[in-house]
Amino acid sequence: MSTITRSQTIRQRFYTIGLLVRRNVKNQYYGSFIGVVWTVLNPLLNMIVMAFVFTSIFGREGIDLDYPVYVLSGSITFTLMRAGTAGSVNSLVGRADMLLKTRTQLEIFPTATVISSLVTYGFSLIALLLVAGWRALPIFGGPYFTFTWNMLLIIAIIPAILLFTLGISYFLSALYVFFRDVKNLYDVFLTLWFYLTPIFYTIKQLKSATVEKFESFNPMYYYVNGTRECLEGIMVSGKEWLLMYLFGFISLLIGWTFLRLLRNKISVHL
Amino acid sequence: MADISNDVLLDVQNITMKFSRYATGVDTLKELVIRAFRKDLKRDKFECLKGISFQVHKGEAVALIGKNGAGKSTLLKIIAGTLTPTSGKTVRYGRITPLLRLGAGFDYNATGVENIYINAALLGYTKKQIKEKEQEIIEFSELGDFINSPLKTYSSGMVSRLGFSIAANMESEILLIDEVLAVGDMAFNKKCYAKLAELCAKGVTFVIVSHNSNVKRYCKRAIWIDEGVVREDGDIGIVFKHYTDFMATKPVEPMSVTKTSMQTANNQPVSQSTLESKPLVVSNPSTEDSNIASNNPKKV
Repeated sequence: MSTITRSQTIRQRFYTIGLLVRRNVKNQYYGSFIGVVWTVLNPLLNMIVMAFVFTSIFGREGIDLDYPVYVLSGSITFTLMRAGTAGSVNSLVGRADMLLKTRTQLEIFPTATVISSLVTYGFSLIALLLVAGWRALPIFGGPYFTFTWNMLLIIAIIPAILLFTLGISYFLSALYVFFRDVKNLYDVFLTLWFYLTPIFYTIKQLKSATVEKFESFNPMYYYVNGTRECLEGIMVSGKEWLLMYLFGFISLLIGWTFLRLLRNKISVHL
Repeated sequence: MADISNDVLLDVQNITMKFSRYATGVDTLKELVIRAFRKDLKRDKFECLKGISFQVHKGEAVALIGKNGAGKSTLLKIIAGTLTPTSGKTVRYGRITPLLRLGAGFDYNATGVENIYINAALLGYTKKQIKEKEQEIIEFSELGDFINSPLKTYSSGMVSRLGFSIAANMESEILLIDEVLAVGDMAFNKKCYAKLAELCAKGVTFVIVSHNSNVKRYCKRAIWIDEGVVREDGDIGIVFKHYTDFMATKPVEPMSVTKTSMQTANNQPVSQSTLESKPLVVSNPSTEDSNIASNNPKKV
């Protein structure tokens, strides 16, 4: 048994995460007839509501991107982070029985949840493509949207968002073991965060230097903005890439260290 | 300590375990903040294990005995690796499989087969290893066609049967068993014990936590843990005799009992086990069994 090598251990861990992810995704659609379709439909419906409500309130001033695409791209990017982190809060406490009996890598459980939300994000991207495709048609006075190869760069942003999400997930799942109101507080915080991130508005519309300054500390702003620039066909600047990955790695480092340091306390407390 | 012979599978070296937790059980941030303002954050510290050392050799079956709250379960968790001791260390030369909480880690929406894979993977086995044993596990569990149905259609007995089948059939060097194994009906329970005997004959090492004299059938050696130290280590007949004599003569002091039972690692508040089973264990060990059996489904 001692012949198990390091690479085998890592392979085994990935295999375990894979099994958990598959299960999470299946559970999500369990018993729902339109299951997968719903994942595509859900962001679409949200987008329609937001587009309907906010077009008339805020207007489209300062938004170069087609508004439905603008709203949808922002909300699915935010949802990737939200679903991953909110789902991870309970990932250790919910597995308490298992964690108490066998020595498992704690990281496995939040990681599996985050990857599950990535799967959902993948479906949401289909929704985005559908909307973009529809807006690119020369109908109703269109086309409002043009496809560019730049769009593919979204794929390079996703790992940064994942790192960022993983960090928060590790942190919260560990904290939740000790404080059971973390879940409620975080839900409120997420709502606040959602409105503070320019999902359905632009910062320029607010015409406030304070807000702009504030947004420069909001990591989600960079992810949302980066995604939109890719869609618009604008090159994402080097500084933006740097910040996106910097936020990702810092978050991961903090979350992972927190989880590591508390590892023993967690098993005492579970 | 110089001559650690090759057949030592488990080397427990001078383990101490201290716990510290808020006296009032702070478990929300809100409470933490309020109490911090009131300066009402007292921490209780207690030492659960105080320098425990022993070695387990290949093929041995060792019983850990001791009264409730003596630190047996904490010790078992440390051996399993889920708890890190405050000082000292355990060296394991082989894979440890816990036969505890048999339903733990199951997903009730997944089928039996899926759960075999998930559970074994969480126990640390590779895909290849699981595939090799899959058929054996399914056959042993006697679940028949149910193996392809979601676990929520199972009875609780079936769930623990599946749990036992996975743990007992995967290759392992050391099996950890907590208290009495109550798996499925009598026939299946018999089969479980037969399986354990077979594993024992194959040279698998057992560490069993118990205060039931039944373990005499499987173990030759017993380690008596009392107040966090090894009180006696040796032939099970002798140790068990001393242990039962001690328990029979010891008057039941409610205060000290409560205090010691708080020393278990479990989060559970001072539980019924203190109040109910404690006085009974001396006179009638089988009552203890039924207590545990009735407690089990909650854990599963």
